[in-house]
Amino acid sequence: MKRTRFFIKKLLWAIFTIAFVVVLNFFLFRVLPGDPARQGIRDPRMTKKSIEAVRVRFGLDKPVINCFSSVNPLKVGNCFINPLDTQFFIYARNLFKGDFGISFHYNRPVRDILMERLWNTVLLIGAGQILAIVLGVTVGVIAAWKARTSVDYGALSLSLLAWSLPTFWLGMIFLFWGSNNGFPIGGKATPGMSSAPLNEQVADVLQHMILPTLTYTIIFMGEYMLIMRSSLLDVLSEDFILTAKAKGLSTFQILKDHALKNAMLPLVTVIALNLGFTMAGAIQIETVFSWPGLGGAIYEGVVRRDFPMLQGAFLMIAVSVIIANLMAELGYSLLDPRVQSE
Amino acid sequence: MAISVTLETLPAKRTPFQNFWRTFRKNKMGVIGLVFLVLIILVAIFAPWIAPYDPYSSVGISAKDVYQPPSPEHPLGTDDAGKDELSLFVYGSRVSLTVGFFASFIAIAIGGSVGISAGYFGGRTETILMRFNDIMLVIPDLALMVVIIALTKPSLWNIILVIGLLGWTFTSRIVRSQTLAVKSKKYVLRARAIGAGSWHIVNNHILPLVLPLLVVNAVLVISISILNESALSFLGLGDPTLISWGQMLNYAFARGAMSSGAWWALVVPGFGIVWVVLALTLLGQGLEQVFNPRLETHHLTARKKTSFPEPAVPSGRPQLSPPPLLTVRNLSIEYKISENSAARAVDNVSLTLRKGEMLGLVGESGCGKTTLMLGLLRLLPAAGSIVGGSIDFDGHDLISLSDAEMMDVRWKGISIIFQGAMNALNPVRTVGDQVAEAIKQHDSNISGDAMASQVAELLDLVGIAPERKDDFPHQYSGGMRQRAMIAMALACDPQIVIADEPTTALDVMIQAQILELLSSLRERLGLSIILVTHDLGVVAEMCDSVLVMYGGVLAEYASVDQVYNSPQHPYTRELLKAFPNLANPEKKLSSIPGYPPRLDNLPAGCRFAPRCTLAIERCELELPEIKEISEKHYVGCHLLDVS
Amino acid sequence: MTETILEVISLKKTFTADKPSLIFGGKERLVHAIDGIDFTLARGEVLALVGESGCGKSTLALTLMGLEKPSGGRILFDGKEVTTFNNAGLKEYRKRIQMIFQDPYESLNPTQSIEEIVTEPLLVHGLGRNKEERRRLAIRALEDSGLKPAEVYLERFPHQLSGGQRQRVVIAGALVLEPRLLLADEPVSMLDVSIRAEIINLLAELRQSRQISVIFITHDLGTVGYFADRIAVMYLGRIVEIGPTHEILEFPGHPYTKALLSVIPVPNPRLRRKRIILKGETPNPIDIPSGCRFHPRCPVAVEACRVTDPTFVNVSKNHLVACLSVSPA
Repeated sequence: MKRTRFFIKKLLWAIFTIAFVVVLNFFLFRVLPGDPARQGIRDPRMTKKSIEAVRVRFGLDKPVINCFSSVNPLKVGNCFINPLDTQFFIYARNLFKGDFGISFHYNRPVRDILMERLWNTVLLIGAGQILAIVLGVTVGVIAAWKARTSVDYGALSLSLLAWSLPTFWLGMIFLFWGSNNGFPIGGKATPGMSSAPLNEQVADVLQHMILPTLTYTIIFMGEYMLIMRSSLLDVLSEDFILTAKAKGLSTFQILKDHALKNAMLPLVTVIALNLGFTMAGAIQIETVFSWPGLGGAIYEGVVRRDFPMLQGAFLMIAVSVIIANLMAELGYSLLDPRVQSE
Repeated sequence: MAISVTLETLPAKRTPFQNFWRTFRKNKMGVIGLVFLVLIILVAIFAPWIAPYDPYSSVGISAKDVYQPPSPEHPLGTDDAGKDELSLFVYGSRVSLTVGFFASFIAIAIGGSVGISAGYFGGRTETILMRFNDIMLVIPDLALMVVIIALTKPSLWNIILVIGLLGWTFTSRIVRSQTLAVKSKKYVLRARAIGAGSWHIVNNHILPLVLPLLVVNAVLVISISILNESALSFLGLGDPTLISWGQMLNYAFARGAMSSGAWWALVVPGFGIVWVVLALTLLGQGLEQVFNPRLETHHLTARKKTSFPEPAVPSGRPQLSPPPLLTVRNLSIEYKISENSAARAVDNVSLTLRKGEMLGLVGESGCGKTTLMLGLLRLLPAAGSIVGGSIDFDGHDLISLSDAEMMDVRWKGISIIFQGAMNALNPVRTVGDQVAEAIKQHDSNISGDAMASQVAELLDLVGIAPERKDDFPHQYSGGMRQRAMIAMALACDPQIVIADEPTTALDVMIQAQILELLSSLRERLGLSIILVTHDLGVVAEMCDSVLVMYGGVLAEYASVDQVYNSPQHPYTRELLKAFPNLANPEKKLSSIPGYPPRLDNLPAGCRFAPRCTLAIERCELELPEIKEISEKHYVGCHLLDVS
Repeated sequence: MTETILEVISLKKTFTADKPSLIFGGKERLVHAIDGIDFTLARGEVLALVGESGCGKSTLALTLMGLEKPSGGRILFDGKEVTTFNNAGLKEYRKRIQMIFQDPYESLNPTQSIEEIVTEPLLVHGLGRNKEERRRLAIRALEDSGLKPAEVYLERFPHQLSGGQRQRVVIAGALVLEPRLLLADEPVSMLDVSIRAEIINLLAELRQSRQISVIFITHDLGTVGYFADRIAVMYLGRIVEIGPTHEILEFPGHPYTKALLSVIPVPNPRLRRKRIILKGETPNPIDIPSGCRFHPRCPVAVEACRVTDPTFVNVSKNHLVACLSVSPA
């Protein structure tokens, strides 16, 4: 019963956060450039009339929200207008219906583009994170167990180095080396592969995935190793480890049955906190390797001034992270029986 | 009755900062990081003198200079515009470092203030601040930064502001936890009790204790800011009028360095970023190790193979029949303090334990009683080792057993109860599970049902309702946890149970319950018990024999009657005088001036001599031998020398 | 001279454990940490407050210090109502009543020198015209606490001192304001046995020389036998018995006191007493039992105990017991 209450509280909070991001997203794109329509169509030959027509088409002639007809907080306007007829509400309603607008560059609905890309990002990040966790945990456990020996120092040095590498730079180095050594120079699949048999397509995608995933894994592995090591060192100094030893358990048994579960808990917290960094990594890697994912969508949105794309990609990234964070929190509460009183 | 302490006995004066510097100096990682960092900062400051060319001017550059490999005129090659890479590198350091430091300054200032306010004021302030913090924490940083800068102007100050204003969330969380931890310390309560106001408390008590954490965190934030700046520049959002390493990589990527094979254009700026971030990371790790020293040995650290100790010197006692269950002869245990020095935590201690006997092991902090017990079970940490004597249990010499054989003896022959108030039970596994584990370890063929019924029986034996086997340790009260530990200790029907301060942290009534339980179990099961404690009253009520330890040596060892009614060792006598006796409550308590010796500073002669009012010259020079002064009454004191 | 310095009347302090949630509802659950405490303290008197965990002794200390606002009842210090003090009044009050804590390792800020620690109260209250004078006052306080030569200690830091020395610094820090009342919350439980007596004897000496009253909170009845004038026994937020020391120890009236006295280990192996070991543990102060709060664990409880909450009965002139089984003298 207590657990259900805990879950519901966390779920409500996640929903609230998403709402906050939606509002933030709206105001960011209204406040900062002022008039996206003008930004989007930077043709100096456009007449006033056609600019006006574009504005109407994008709904920019309507008041932003009750009491404020523009985003200038000092200019108070009419509070008693129909709230359903404000830019904000229209924006919110469209979002709810899944309408993210039309990409300036591709001239297709942003949602369609992003949905394709979402899975590409999940594929890349998923593979990279899983490998990073598995490797990081393994090396971290070994390093903690053999603390202060050369094995430990070696692992520590490599991890600190990996943690210090800029993600995009590592990607560039790999790409540079890879392109001179037979690896594809970017993208998810070789052009023309869509007509090939399925297993060849899969192999092709995998080949394209190797370098970006490798980049991703190396960057995150360093951090996970460090966390796992220090967490396990802490756990192994606890009294219950001595109790286990006194009971006659072997080192391996103690690691397996007592230490690992406890040591994993801080790691889960860190993985949750890291989800933002994960996305930062995705943005950089997808840009370098031209991988068609959400991160790449952000880059394209910036470079091409494609604001609907940029706005939509940002929103989707933020919401994904919020949901992933929620799942991590719930997962953590299942692992740690002490978490219920919040 | 005041104590005067002479100047020599107090350690030399040293401020906390001097302490810090002494420790930090020895930390290799931190010093290397600091040196690297200082180097690159110097490069940035003296850029105009170090760089061979001015990268901001295009004077003297022609098309043929584009992407030239390293050569004498251009030791690191040239970039896509023909500019000298070395000069670009040197000037690029300025922007990266400037953004890094300024942005993190903003982030730390905001994060620190938010964290301290939330932690100190609590209540609604805390809730609002932390909720806001949580939201900002979840929103992906880089994505938001990209959006904001893309929608505004990519200028240096913009970037600094954006990185700074979004980078405080992690800091504030950490600062808040630390503030809460400090706030609960007694010295803050004392400050409030004196009547100090919030400002005074935050300034004098909270801030100095939060500062080390903030410094470590600042280093981390600086490195993240630099990484963020370079990522933003790489994505094309850097200040186009300035050279930064990220900017250099942006141009290299977008303007075909890779297809031209101009690897130097990739390596040089990247190297710069790695240099700074690595320096900061090493510095941060070093600082962390100094502020939060973590002992990098733990219970599973491998022990070096020690040479077997010298053959035991027989204590000259005739063997009585039946022979005792446990005979410890002249046991000595050393702890390694540093590379070349070791301290004798236990020196030449002997004892015997018969079946059904309860021995009380008494002593104050640092006397070695817990070390002695851990030594019996060969559970000493990696720094400790048995260097002499023998341990004879049920016919086997425990010291010469292999690790595997010792694992069999543990719990099944001898089990141990630790202070349950601490983390002696694994918090994420159920109590029943942990009890069952002990059973299964020594009886691997047992069926699940048999195991479950044994667990239920054991819990019932100690007065815990069997349904509670599926609860976790934190759901038990302190007294119940201790009972659970007892149940677990009995799981394999041991012959000897060692109870190490089993009731020290418990209330007096719960203590009585636990001791009553131990006493009745001893009768029912025929257990032998070694009770380790500092409480002389408990020993008097429960034990058959008493071993008094001081500074690692045996002071007095006899039956409980002999020790309490005719104590011979000066320490035993003084200790009895210092211990309150409810049967004679008006008696004024005495104390023993001075304090127990520290392991790394043991006196040359008798360990108690510095505090002994009867000490003679011999006591300061020579460690007394343990002699049997009357039937089974052993004392180690020169004053009782029969000669 | 038995002028009353402190008078506590029906003091109550309640904390909120659970608030009803906006979404899920639920009841409010209150922790009745202290639930009606009455006693007086004379000038220069030592009162030992004895009880186990959950009895509310620490909450009582904090409330008397003004660090927690009472939920009910009155505190009169020197005849003035502490509960109605404003900020200035409270600050003034803090000069008169000082506290010593249990953990000598946590009571001192590791970044402050001993001089800073002992002069801090002077700074807070604006006493001592300049640094020199404050230093002088600090030296005097340190010497009165038995740390001589005090000058040597001034420049040191807490981590360089032993547990006993630290506790003396804490006492010096309390003495420097020349208080009339010292609240000592388990000041020796974390010290080695051979050192405890030093600190207790120091407090006894200070009581003699400065006529300071002391409220000595402890769970260990044995340590206060010779030092306390009176003993008050607390259980679940109430005082269940209070009286002169030797009377409480020789002729305890309340079943709880009797049980406590019977189980405290005595270092005399030939003395075999009948121990009254209570079953179970002290209940949670959230769910206080009906009637006499001790009745579920009381070995002599009768039907009436479940219904009636006993008030104090005089078993002798100064000896009060709150128990239905006890009849007045």
